[in-house]
Amino acid sequence: MNAPLAWLACAGAALASVAAPLSAQSPAPERAAPRTADGKPDLSGIWVATGAIMLFEGQEAFAAARAADAAAGRPPGNTGDAPPYKPEAEAQRQYFLSRQGLDDPMARCLLTGVPRINFRPLPFEVVQLPDRVIMLYEIHHAFRIIPADGRPPPADAEPSYLGESVGRWDGDTFVVDVTSFNTNTWLTGVGTIHTEDLRVTERYTRDSFDTIRYEVTMDDPAVFTRPWTLRETFRLRPGERIREYECIESNEDLQRFERLLQESRATEGAQ
Amino acid sequence: MRRLAFLLTLVCGVFVARLATAHHSFAAYFDGQKAVTLIGEVASVEWTNPHFHFSIDVKDANGVVARWRFEGFPPNMLVRQGWQRDVTLTPGTMVTVEGWAARSEPNAGAARWVTLADGRKLAAGPPAGTGGR
Repeated sequence: MNAPLAWLACAGAALASVAAPLSAQSPAPERAAPRTADGKPDLSGIWVATGAIMLFEGQEAFAAARAADAAAGRPPGNTGDAPPYKPEAEAQRQYFLSRQGLDDPMARCLLTGVPRINFRPLPFEVVQLPDRVIMLYEIHHAFRIIPADGRPPPADAEPSYLGESVGRWDGDTFVVDVTSFNTNTWLTGVGTIHTEDLRVTERYTRDSFDTIRYEVTMDDPAVFTRPWTLRETFRLRPGERIREYECIESNEDLQRFERLLQESRATEGAQ
Repeated sequence: MRRLAFLLTLVCGVFVARLATAHHSFAAYFDGQKAVTLIGEVASVEWTNPHFHFSIDVKDANGVVARWRFEGFPPNMLVRQGWQRDVTLTPGTMVTVEGWAARSEPNAGAARWVTLADGRKLAAGPPAGTGGR
């Protein structure tokens, strides 16, 4: 089943499962998002992408979360959609796909970039302050400090894994512009390459107590035919805490992949 | 209708979750088409990051023992699934492991579920990723 068809089927199933019991019982109304003293929606809390709910709570909870999103009018997550690559970039992606993810930078414990880091099945904590928003990720113990006081991106920015983030409020939505990326990260799945000209625009909207609507647009004209937009719902994890994550200690992928890469290069060289 | 819708949602949930939570580079080393279910005695447990490992001794019909080594969640996720270091999985106990074998490495695999001697079944690792997403 291809991804768009799957989403269509899933949306239909989710709607049917939500609509069917309506006559018997109405879903509980969602609690309103909290606000900070200065009146802005408060993004603070520990969150995880809905795609990870299956790992945390099982398949039924995951299906229920997607059904709740459909009932509330939140768009379904589409992080598995194919990127709108130009032919040359798509050929590169297909090459990486043919190698089963062997080249994944993350498997070598390199920092995961934006937005991929937000989709990983590990929680992250948002700490919202009046002048900045801090994101603390369990994966790789990574963090982002996002200024929200009107300052421009730093003039001395070097290309980096997570880029340089600058935030601003657009009504009740926290908008983050991210630039100055290096090319050592993938955007989401295997082979989702980009150039240093990548510009990422993230939109975080806490639309209920338990959810953040997340929309991210990646603009990189060198590889894309048009900007690529993905959506996901982040879910509050009450009682959760960010735990330690160490990536090198027993990461056998490093040795395995080195061996597999050598074999792979030998095969390609022979062809 | 409700039941059908629920089942469909469940099936879709599995499909979509695979897209979103595929194990990093699972498919480079493991084969999601090679499902295995093995019963054996725990030989060792390595509570390490970014994956824990354990090995079990599996006896065949002729009494020949093969040692299988499995990889699974990091400790932070194991704890969330109800595991306790040195308590949940201990050498000398019998367990049933469901998972997937490695592509080429013999007697190696990725664990998805471990059923303990007391009947508890705990998630030990993520679902098979395709490597494609």
